[in-house]
Amino acid sequence: MLDRIANMFDIVAKGGHGSIWLVLFIGFVFGAIILYSRLNKFEKMAGFMIFEDTLVPRMAMTTVALSSIGFYFLVQSGYATFDVKPTILGGLIVGAILFGIGLVILGKCPSAFFVSVSEGRVDALVGVVGGMFGGLFFTLGYPWIKELLGTNLGKIRITDYFDGYGLIITLALSATLLITAYLLPTIDYKDPADDR
Amino acid sequence: MPRSIPWWLGGISMSLLFYFTFSVWGADRPIGASTGMSYIANMIFGLDPENYEYAAIVEQSGAWEGVMLVGAFFGGLFMSVFVTKTFHISFIPTLWKERKNKSIKSRMIWSFIAGFLLVFGARLAGGCNAGHILSGGSQLAVSGMIFAVVALGTGMITGRFFYKRKGE
Repeated sequence: MLDRIANMFDIVAKGGHGSIWLVLFIGFVFGAIILYSRLNKFEKMAGFMIFEDTLVPRMAMTTVALSSIGFYFLVQSGYATFDVKPTILGGLIVGAILFGIGLVILGKCPSAFFVSVSEGRVDALVGVVGGMFGGLFFTLGYPWIKELLGTNLGKIRITDYFDGYGLIITLALSATLLITAYLLPTIDYKDPADDR
Repeated sequence: MPRSIPWWLGGISMSLLFYFTFSVWGADRPIGASTGMSYIANMIFGLDPENYEYAAIVEQSGAWEGVMLVGAFFGGLFMSVFVTKTFHISFIPTLWKERKNKSIKSRMIWSFIAGFLLVFGARLAGGCNAGHILSGGSQLAVSGMIFAVVALGTGMITGRFFYKRKGE
Protein backbone atom coordinates (compact mmCIF):
# COMPACT_ATOMS: atom_id res chain seq x y z
CA MET A 1 0.00 0.00 0.00
CA LEU A 2 2.74 2.48 0.98
CA ASP A 3 4.61 1.85 -2.25
CA ARG A 4 1.42 2.54 -4.20
CA ILE A 5 0.99 5.87 -2.42
CA ALA A 6 4.63 6.67 -3.17
CA ASN A 7 3.93 5.72 -6.78
CA MET A 8 1.00 8.19 -6.89
CA PHE A 9 3.30 11.04 -5.84
CA ASP A 10 5.95 9.81 -8.25
CA ILE A 11 3.55 9.92 -11.23
CA VAL A 12 2.63 13.51 -10.33
CA ALA A 13 6.30 14.52 -9.96
CA LYS A 14 7.00 13.24 -13.48
CA GLY A 15 3.66 14.21 -15.00
CA GLY A 16 4.51 17.76 -16.04
CA HIS A 17 1.43 19.32 -14.42
CA GLY A 18 3.14 21.05 -11.55
CA SER A 19 5.33 19.78 -8.72
CA ILE A 20 3.92 17.71 -5.85
CA TRP A 21 3.94 20.75 -3.58
CA LEU A 22 2.12 22.83 -6.15
CA VAL A 23 -0.61 20.19 -6.61
CA LEU A 24 -0.95 19.82 -2.83
CA PHE A 25 -1.18 23.61 -2.57
CA ILE A 26 -3.91 23.76 -5.24
CA GLY A 27 -5.80 21.05 -3.34
CA PHE A 28 -5.30 22.83 -0.02
CA VAL A 29 -6.75 26.08 -1.36
CA PHE A 30 -9.57 24.18 -3.12
CA GLY A 31 -10.51 22.40 0.13
CA ALA A 32 -10.20 25.62 2.13
CA ILE A 33 -12.54 27.53 -0.23
CA ILE A 34 -15.07 24.66 -0.23
CA LEU A 35 -15.10 24.54 3.56
CA TYR A 36 -15.06 28.29 4.14
CA SER A 37 -17.95 28.91 1.75
CA ARG A 38 -19.76 25.96 3.48
CA LEU A 39 -20.22 24.32 0.06
CA ASN A 40 -19.43 20.93 1.62
CA LYS A 41 -22.52 20.97 3.81
CA PHE A 42 -25.49 18.69 3.22
CA GLU A 43 -27.77 21.66 3.90
CA LYS A 44 -26.17 23.63 1.06
CA MET A 45 -25.94 20.95 -1.68
CA ALA A 46 -29.06 18.85 -0.96
CA GLY A 47 -30.74 22.05 0.24
CA PHE A 48 -30.19 23.59 -3.21
CA MET A 49 -32.03 20.73 -4.89
CA ILE A 50 -35.00 20.91 -2.52
CA PHE A 51 -35.05 24.73 -2.77
CA GLU A 52 -33.96 25.42 0.81
CA ASP A 53 -30.69 27.23 0.05
CA THR A 54 -29.27 29.17 -2.90
CA LEU A 55 -25.56 29.31 -2.05
CA VAL A 56 -24.51 26.50 -4.41
CA PRO A 57 -26.14 27.77 -7.64
CA ARG A 58 -25.06 31.38 -6.97
CA MET A 59 -21.47 30.45 -6.22
CA ALA A 60 -21.24 27.96 -9.11
CA MET A 61 -22.66 30.49 -11.58
CA THR A 62 -20.20 33.16 -10.41
CA THR A 63 -17.29 30.72 -10.71
CA VAL A 64 -18.22 29.61 -14.24
CA ALA A 65 -18.99 33.19 -15.36
CA LEU A 66 -15.63 34.58 -14.21
CA SER A 67 -13.60 31.49 -15.15
CA SER A 68 -14.98 31.33 -18.69
CA ILE A 69 -13.78 34.88 -19.44
CA GLY A 70 -10.42 34.28 -17.77
CA PHE A 71 -9.92 30.96 -19.54
CA TYR A 72 -10.77 32.56 -22.88
CA PHE A 73 -8.10 35.23 -22.52
CA LEU A 74 -5.52 32.81 -21.06
CA VAL A 75 -5.94 30.53 -24.07
CA GLN A 76 -5.98 33.45 -26.55
CA SER A 77 -2.69 34.77 -25.18
CA GLY A 78 -1.09 31.32 -25.19
CA TYR A 79 -0.86 30.83 -21.42
CA ALA A 80 -3.24 27.87 -21.32
CA THR A 81 -4.85 25.29 -23.58
CA PHE A 82 -8.43 24.10 -23.57
CA ASP A 83 -8.77 20.60 -22.13
CA VAL A 84 -12.33 19.55 -22.81
CA LYS A 85 -13.93 16.21 -21.93
CA PRO A 86 -15.41 14.22 -24.83
CA THR A 87 -19.18 14.09 -25.30
CA ILE A 88 -20.06 10.38 -25.09
CA LEU A 89 -23.84 10.65 -24.98
CA GLY A 90 -24.91 7.30 -23.47
CA GLY A 91 -22.40 7.33 -20.63
CA LEU A 92 -22.90 11.04 -20.06
CA ILE A 93 -26.68 10.85 -19.62
CA VAL A 94 -26.86 7.61 -17.59
CA GLY A 95 -23.89 8.72 -15.50
CA ALA A 96 -25.41 12.14 -14.84
CA ILE A 97 -28.70 10.55 -13.72
CA LEU A 98 -26.93 8.25 -11.20
CA PHE A 99 -24.76 11.17 -10.09
CA GLY A 100 -27.77 13.44 -9.57
CA ILE A 101 -29.49 10.84 -7.37
CA GLY A 102 -26.30 10.34 -5.34
CA LEU A 103 -25.80 14.08 -5.04
CA VAL A 104 -29.19 14.85 -3.50
CA ILE A 105 -29.04 11.89 -1.09
CA LEU A 106 -25.46 12.35 0.13
CA GLY A 107 -25.64 16.13 -0.22
CA LYS A 108 -22.01 16.34 -1.29
CA CYS A 109 -20.01 15.96 -4.48
CA PRO A 110 -16.79 13.89 -4.87
CA SER A 111 -14.53 16.73 -3.74
CA ALA A 112 -16.81 18.01 -0.99
CA PHE A 113 -17.30 14.65 0.72
CA PHE A 114 -13.53 14.44 1.18
CA VAL A 115 -13.55 17.92 2.68
CA SER A 116 -16.52 17.00 4.89
CA VAL A 117 -14.60 14.09 6.38
CA SER A 118 -12.01 16.62 7.56
CA GLU A 119 -14.81 18.34 9.48
CA GLY A 120 -15.57 15.15 11.42
CA ARG A 121 -18.64 14.04 9.48
CA VAL A 122 -19.00 10.28 9.74
CA ASP A 123 -21.77 10.09 7.12
CA ALA A 124 -19.38 11.70 4.62
CA LEU A 125 -16.76 9.08 5.46
CA VAL A 126 -19.29 6.33 4.80
CA GLY A 127 -20.03 8.09 1.49
CA VAL A 128 -16.33 7.96 0.62
CA VAL A 129 -16.28 4.22 1.40
CA GLY A 130 -19.32 3.76 -0.84
CA GLY A 131 -17.49 5.75 -3.50
CA MET A 132 -14.48 3.44 -3.22
CA PHE A 133 -16.77 0.49 -4.01
CA GLY A 134 -18.28 2.49 -6.88
CA GLY A 135 -14.77 2.93 -8.25
CA LEU A 136 -13.96 -0.75 -7.72
CA PHE A 137 -17.03 -1.95 -9.60
CA PHE A 138 -16.42 0.50 -12.43
CA THR A 139 -12.83 -0.64 -12.98
CA LEU A 140 -13.82 -4.32 -12.75
CA GLY A 141 -16.77 -3.87 -15.09
CA TYR A 142 -15.08 -1.55 -17.57
CA PRO A 143 -14.59 -4.19 -20.33
CA TRP A 144 -18.41 -4.54 -20.48
CA ILE A 145 -19.30 -0.96 -19.58
CA LYS A 146 -17.30 0.52 -22.46
CA GLU A 147 -19.49 -1.36 -24.94
CA LEU A 148 -22.54 0.47 -23.56
CA LEU A 149 -21.19 4.03 -23.45
CA GLY A 150 -22.51 5.02 -26.88
CA THR A 151 -21.25 7.29 -29.63
CA ASN A 152 -18.35 9.61 -28.95
CA LEU A 153 -19.15 13.00 -30.46
CA GLY A 154 -15.64 14.22 -29.68
CA LYS A 155 -14.28 17.04 -27.57
CA ILE A 156 -16.79 19.68 -28.60
CA ARG A 157 -17.34 23.21 -27.29
CA ILE A 158 -20.33 25.51 -27.89
CA THR A 159 -18.11 27.98 -29.74
CA ASP A 160 -17.06 25.28 -32.26
CA TYR A 161 -20.39 25.82 -33.98
CA PHE A 162 -20.02 29.59 -34.24
CA ASP A 163 -16.64 30.24 -35.79
CA GLY A 164 -15.21 33.68 -34.99
CA TYR A 165 -17.81 34.51 -32.35
CA GLY A 166 -15.96 32.91 -29.43
CA LEU A 167 -15.55 36.07 -27.40
CA ILE A 168 -19.14 37.27 -27.90
CA ILE A 169 -20.57 33.88 -26.88
CA THR A 170 -18.28 33.71 -23.83
CA LEU A 171 -19.25 37.21 -22.74
CA ALA A 172 -22.95 36.56 -23.30
CA LEU A 173 -22.86 33.33 -21.27
CA SER A 174 -20.87 34.97 -18.53
CA ALA A 175 -23.20 37.99 -18.30
CA THR A 176 -26.28 35.75 -18.24
CA LEU A 177 -24.84 33.67 -15.40
CA LEU A 178 -23.72 36.68 -13.37
CA ILE A 179 -27.08 38.42 -13.70
CA THR A 180 -28.95 35.20 -12.80
CA ALA A 181 -26.72 34.65 -9.77
CA TYR A 182 -27.33 38.22 -8.65
CA LEU A 183 -31.09 38.04 -9.15
CA LEU A 184 -31.58 34.69 -7.41
CA PRO A 185 -33.07 35.25 -3.96
CA THR A 186 -30.88 34.75 -0.90
CA ILE A 187 -32.20 31.65 0.79
CA ASP A 188 -29.86 30.66 3.58
CA TYR A 189 -30.39 27.53 5.63
CA LYS A 190 -29.07 28.35 9.09
CA ASP A 191 -27.75 25.20 10.72
CA PRO A 192 -27.87 25.46 14.53
CA ALA A 193 -25.21 22.69 14.70
CA ASP A 194 -22.64 25.22 13.40
CA ASP A 195 -23.10 27.64 16.30
CA ARG A 196 -21.83 25.59 19.16
CA MET B 1 -12.47 36.01 11.35
CA PRO B 2 -15.98 35.49 9.93
CA ARG B 3 -17.12 31.87 10.08
CA SER B 4 -18.16 31.68 6.44
CA ILE B 5 -17.79 33.69 3.25
CA PRO B 6 -20.70 34.86 1.05
CA TRP B 7 -21.44 33.20 -2.31
CA TRP B 8 -19.87 35.99 -4.40
CA LEU B 9 -16.59 35.88 -2.51
CA GLY B 10 -16.59 32.09 -2.78
CA GLY B 11 -17.15 32.35 -6.53
CA ILE B 12 -14.40 34.94 -7.00
CA SER B 13 -11.84 32.97 -4.94
CA MET B 14 -12.73 29.75 -6.72
CA SER B 15 -12.28 31.29 -10.17
CA LEU B 16 -8.91 32.81 -9.15
CA LEU B 17 -7.79 29.31 -8.12
CA PHE B 18 -9.13 27.96 -11.44
CA TYR B 19 -7.15 30.59 -13.46
CA PHE B 20 -3.98 29.63 -11.63
CA THR B 21 -4.51 25.88 -11.99
CA PHE B 22 -5.51 26.15 -15.66
CA SER B 23 -2.61 28.38 -16.74
CA VAL B 24 0.98 27.42 -17.52
CA TRP B 25 2.09 29.10 -14.27
CA GLY B 26 0.00 26.58 -12.34
CA ALA B 27 -0.72 23.03 -13.41
CA ASP B 28 -1.68 23.65 -17.07
CA ARG B 29 -4.86 21.57 -16.65
CA PRO B 30 -8.39 22.01 -15.29
CA ILE B 31 -9.45 20.91 -11.81
CA GLY B 32 -11.32 17.63 -11.34
CA ALA B 33 -11.97 15.29 -8.44
CA SER B 34 -13.76 12.09 -9.39
CA THR B 35 -10.91 10.57 -11.40
CA GLY B 36 -8.89 10.92 -8.20
CA MET B 37 -11.57 9.01 -6.27
CA SER B 38 -11.44 6.27 -8.90
CA TYR B 39 -7.63 6.20 -8.71
CA ILE B 40 -7.66 5.91 -4.90
CA ALA B 41 -10.24 3.10 -5.16
CA ASN B 42 -7.98 1.19 -7.56
CA MET B 43 -5.09 1.79 -5.16
CA ILE B 44 -6.99 0.51 -2.10
CA PHE B 45 -8.34 -2.59 -3.84
CA GLY B 46 -5.01 -3.30 -5.53
CA LEU B 47 -6.23 -3.05 -9.13
CA ASP B 48 -3.05 -2.26 -11.01
CA PRO B 49 -2.76 -0.76 -14.50
CA GLU B 50 -1.00 -3.87 -15.86
CA ASN B 51 -4.10 -6.01 -15.36
CA TYR B 52 -7.01 -3.59 -15.57
CA GLU B 53 -7.67 -1.49 -18.64
CA TYR B 54 -9.47 1.29 -16.76
CA ALA B 55 -6.75 1.56 -14.11
CA ALA B 56 -4.31 2.23 -16.96
CA ILE B 57 -6.62 4.89 -18.45
CA VAL B 58 -6.83 6.90 -15.20
CA GLU B 59 -3.21 6.33 -14.15
CA GLN B 60 -1.98 9.84 -15.05
CA SER B 61 -4.87 12.20 -14.35
CA GLY B 62 -6.08 10.07 -11.43
CA ALA B 63 -2.77 10.37 -9.62
CA TRP B 64 -2.82 14.16 -10.09
CA GLU B 65 -6.34 14.41 -8.69
CA GLY B 66 -5.50 11.94 -5.91
CA VAL B 67 -2.69 14.19 -4.68
CA MET B 68 -4.96 17.23 -5.14
CA LEU B 69 -7.61 15.54 -2.92
CA VAL B 70 -5.00 14.88 -0.22
CA GLY B 71 -4.35 18.62 -0.27
CA ALA B 72 -8.11 19.34 -0.22
CA PHE B 73 -8.52 17.17 2.89
CA PHE B 74 -5.87 19.16 4.75
CA GLY B 75 -7.25 22.47 3.45
CA GLY B 76 -10.65 21.51 4.86
CA LEU B 77 -9.14 20.29 8.13
CA PHE B 78 -7.16 23.49 8.58
CA MET B 79 -10.22 25.67 8.03
CA SER B 80 -12.61 23.60 10.15
CA VAL B 81 -10.20 23.50 13.10
CA PHE B 82 -8.78 27.04 13.02
CA VAL B 83 -11.16 29.31 11.13
CA THR B 84 -14.76 28.12 11.05
CA LYS B 85 -14.24 26.05 14.22
CA THR B 86 -16.91 23.63 13.02
CA PHE B 87 -14.83 20.49 13.55
CA HIS B 88 -16.76 17.96 15.61
CA ILE B 89 -17.73 14.33 15.13
CA SER B 90 -21.25 14.24 13.70
CA PHE B 91 -23.39 11.50 12.16
CA ILE B 92 -26.56 13.03 10.72
CA PRO B 93 -26.96 16.46 9.06
CA THR B 94 -29.60 18.77 10.56
CA LEU B 95 -31.68 19.05 7.40
CA TRP B 96 -31.73 15.25 7.02
CA LYS B 97 -33.14 14.98 10.56
CA GLU B 98 -35.89 17.44 9.62
CA ARG B 99 -36.82 15.94 6.28
CA LYS B 100 -35.94 12.25 6.43
CA ASN B 101 -35.40 10.59 9.80
CA LYS B 102 -33.26 10.55 12.93
CA SER B 103 -31.87 7.04 12.48
CA ILE B 104 -28.09 6.84 12.23
CA LYS B 105 -28.36 3.44 10.55
CA SER B 106 -30.61 4.83 7.80
CA ARG B 107 -28.29 7.80 7.17
CA MET B 108 -25.24 5.51 6.94
CA ILE B 109 -26.89 3.04 4.54
CA TRP B 110 -28.08 5.86 2.29
CA SER B 111 -24.67 7.57 2.47
CA PHE B 112 -23.00 4.39 1.30
CA ILE B 113 -25.44 3.94 -1.59
CA ALA B 114 -25.19 7.62 -2.56
CA GLY B 115 -21.37 7.58 -2.44
CA PHE B 116 -21.40 4.51 -4.67
CA LEU B 117 -23.77 6.18 -7.18
CA LEU B 118 -21.73 9.40 -7.16
CA VAL B 119 -18.42 7.82 -8.08
CA PHE B 120 -19.88 5.16 -10.40
CA GLY B 121 -22.04 7.77 -12.16
CA ALA B 122 -19.17 10.24 -12.42
CA ARG B 123 -16.94 7.59 -13.99
CA LEU B 124 -19.66 6.63 -16.44
CA ALA B 125 -20.12 10.29 -17.42
CA GLY B 126 -16.36 10.91 -17.51
CA GLY B 127 -16.34 13.50 -14.72
CA CYS B 128 -18.16 14.99 -11.74
CA ASN B 129 -19.41 18.47 -10.99
CA ALA B 130 -15.87 19.84 -10.59
CA GLY B 131 -14.69 18.48 -13.94
CA HIS B 132 -17.91 18.76 -15.92
CA ILE B 133 -19.89 21.68 -14.49
CA LEU B 134 -17.20 24.05 -13.14
CA SER B 135 -14.19 23.28 -15.38
CA GLY B 136 -16.25 22.04 -18.33
CA GLY B 137 -18.80 24.85 -18.16
CA SER B 138 -16.02 27.45 -17.97
CA GLN B 139 -14.58 26.06 -21.20
CA LEU B 140 -18.04 26.05 -22.79
CA ALA B 141 -17.82 22.27 -23.20
CA VAL B 142 -20.97 20.64 -24.59
CA SER B 143 -20.40 17.60 -22.32
CA GLY B 144 -20.37 19.82 -19.23
CA MET B 145 -23.64 21.52 -20.11
CA ILE B 146 -25.44 18.24 -20.82
CA PHE B 147 -24.10 16.83 -17.53
CA ALA B 148 -25.21 19.90 -15.55
CA VAL B 149 -28.77 19.86 -16.89
CA VAL B 150 -29.30 16.09 -16.49
CA ALA B 151 -27.60 15.74 -13.07
CA LEU B 152 -29.28 18.75 -11.46
CA GLY B 153 -32.65 17.95 -13.04
CA THR B 154 -32.47 14.36 -11.75
CA GLY B 155 -31.38 15.61 -8.33
CA MET B 156 -34.36 17.96 -8.06
CA ILE B 157 -36.83 15.27 -9.09
CA THR B 158 -35.26 12.71 -6.71
CA GLY B 159 -35.23 15.24 -3.86
CA ARG B 160 -38.94 15.89 -4.39
CA PHE B 161 -39.78 12.22 -3.79
CA PHE B 162 -37.02 11.25 -1.39
CA TYR B 163 -37.54 13.89 1.29
CA LYS B 164 -40.62 14.97 3.21
CA ARG B 165 -41.99 18.37 2.30
CA LYS B 166 -41.32 21.31 4.56
CA GLY B 167 -43.48 21.30 7.69
CA GLU B 168 -44.88 17.79 7.10
